[in-house]
Amino acid sequence: MKRSFTTLTEATLITAVVQHGYGEIITDALLEVGIQGSTVHGAMGVGIRERLGALGVAVDAERDVVNVMVSSDEVDRVFERVFLAGKLDTPGMGFMYATPLMQAATYVPPSILSKYSGT
Amino acid sequence: MARRNTIRFGDYIQAMSIDSQKIPFQELMPEPLFDRHGKEHPQPVPKMKLGGGDVLKILQPYLSTRFIDQARAVVPLALYLALFQYLVLQTPVMDASIIAGGLFAVMIGLMMFMEGLKLGLMPFGEIIGNTLPRKLPLPGVLCIAFLLGIGVTFAEPAIGALQVAGSIVDPEKAPYLFTLLNDRSGATVLLVGLGVGLAAVLGTVRFLRGWSLKPMIFMSVLPTLILSVIAFMDPELTKIVGLAWDCGAVTTGPVTVPLVLALGIGVASAAGKGADSSLSGFGIVTLASVFPILGVLLLSFYTAYTVPPELIIEKAAEIKLAAQSAASQPQWFEATPWTEVILGVRAIVPLVIFLAVVLLVILREKLKNAFITYYGIILAVVGMCIFNIGLTYGLAKLGDQSGGLIAGAFTSIDAITASPLYSMTVGVGIAGLFAWVLGLSATLAEPALNALGMTVQNLTNGAFKKSMLMFAVAFGVATGIMLGVLKLIYGFHIMYILIPGYTLGLILTLLSTEEFVNVGWDSAGVTTGPVTVPLVLAMGLGFGNALGSTDGFGILAAASICPIVAVLTLGIYVQFKIKLEERRVAREGEME
Repeated sequence: MKRSFTTLTEATLITAVVQHGYGEIITDALLEVGIQGSTVHGAMGVGIRERLGALGVAVDAERDVVNVMVSSDEVDRVFERVFLAGKLDTPGMGFMYATPLMQAATYVPPSILSKYSGT
Repeated sequence: MARRNTIRFGDYIQAMSIDSQKIPFQELMPEPLFDRHGKEHPQPVPKMKLGGGDVLKILQPYLSTRFIDQARAVVPLALYLALFQYLVLQTPVMDASIIAGGLFAVMIGLMMFMEGLKLGLMPFGEIIGNTLPRKLPLPGVLCIAFLLGIGVTFAEPAIGALQVAGSIVDPEKAPYLFTLLNDRSGATVLLVGLGVGLAAVLGTVRFLRGWSLKPMIFMSVLPTLILSVIAFMDPELTKIVGLAWDCGAVTTGPVTVPLVLALGIGVASAAGKGADSSLSGFGIVTLASVFPILGVLLLSFYTAYTVPPELIIEKAAEIKLAAQSAASQPQWFEATPWTEVILGVRAIVPLVIFLAVVLLVILREKLKNAFITYYGIILAVVGMCIFNIGLTYGLAKLGDQSGGLIAGAFTSIDAITASPLYSMTVGVGIAGLFAWVLGLSATLAEPALNALGMTVQNLTNGAFKKSMLMFAVAFGVATGIMLGVLKLIYGFHIMYILIPGYTLGLILTLLSTEEFVNVGWDSAGVTTGPVTVPLVLAMGLGFGNALGSTDGFGILAAASICPIVAVLTLGIYVQFKIKLEERRVAREGEME
């Protein structure tokens, strides 16, 4: 059988680097708005403790990095959602960014593929 | 023609939802600095200036998550005890406000201590564990592991519970027990520490050589059992056995396990033995809970050989008299906050000095983040002091009280006028059930058990589920505590639980695979944390006193062996199931 794959376009990657423990809070918030397929991995952050001085002890240097792909139309909505869920308006909490993706691919159900096969 | 206004829908949504504005990142970054040769030189790190609101936002989650961790272990237990006392025993909690304050101090103290341990002591352990084996020959490393074992024992929060428990013991009834816990308590803790140190050394060598745990268990448990039997035969020393076996459960707490493990794993990985065995890390806990028993037994033999019991009773009376005369005008260091503070400082500071000497003098390493480490050490000391206060006024008091009152369910005691509240059978049943539920809920709340469960699930590729292990251990502990309580009610000796229990444990050890032996024997030590130990110890002593029994020790000892048996049995069952499954698959393969 000949295998084929479909490329998805107009996708954007949203990445949030937050304090350890907030990764799950963000993925839960994303699931609530119907965004599935987030990836979380751990990392170590450097720099914020030095800048906060004594308060730095309250900031966990261990970080969760959340990656999630969304359609470019939805970026603003999801971006805001992640910002609020991760409490990124707190000093030392973390940061986030959105990157336009050139290409993306995954399993696309045949029922959806058939809609596009004509064009 | 009318002009048409266009707004991007995205902009509209954004404007409607939250205040947002755009700033080019370029404007936030500082200009690069160059010296006169045109070389770039480092930027100064400006301190961030924060308003009060932001400080609160940073601190609030930091404090609340750590507090909730401790509250989750303490509050349900305290509520359970209070409700049980109120509903079943029909007696309100006496000194409720003092106990509530004490329990609050326990939570605050443990919260600070655990955070201090993570920030202040663990970095030492990790650096020493990683670099020591490379800089020192093996005998030197083992020597330091041994000293570390002694140091961590003194720093263990639950050790303070032994001293508190000692004040409840009656010197007339059990003179040796009294002396080991009062005027010789330093020696007792030292012997326990020597045991932990020896366990650290043997455990580390085991990592290196890849020895099986089974022979080590036999070689450590059998002599301990034999010595216990000898002590059991002696009319005076027989009262020590319960305490000795309880010491094993007390030692393996939140300080000992991670610090000793960090060193052991560091040694193993420096020798290139760390990665190939997922079991490295197990075994030390087991040895660290058996050797202290041996140590305390030996100390009691020595004491019995050198000091006659009459002398101790005399001395105890003297101490009591001195205490009474001093009671009117206690020395400043004997008054309440100061004794606990001195105990706390004495527990942590020697360990810190020892770690610092190893790091700075022997290894000549520097701490990476000195400020955070100092903060952690201070936090650990302050937390330990607060915990000690809470231990005396919260956990020990509450445990002592409910232990004393539960006896009223089936026998007549002074505290409850209507006692016995129930008939003998119903009352004993209630007391047993009470102990069982207490053990189950206290164990399930222990965070270390959750971690062990995860490890086991990964180790067995999911065949041994995390929830299954947690339940097996909790079931074992609950049954053990219930047996311990029944032992007090019917007044039989703890050896009647220990000998069959450990015999069964040893037989199951022979039948089990190495993985389950490691997990099973470790599960006993892991589960008895700084909240459960003092509470159960005090409950047993209060209960024993109300019944006029000689010693209330032994409940923790019974709670240590039962989970071992439970986990090993379940392990054999899981293995059996896997084997059946394999056979079925093989047969199906043949049929095809």
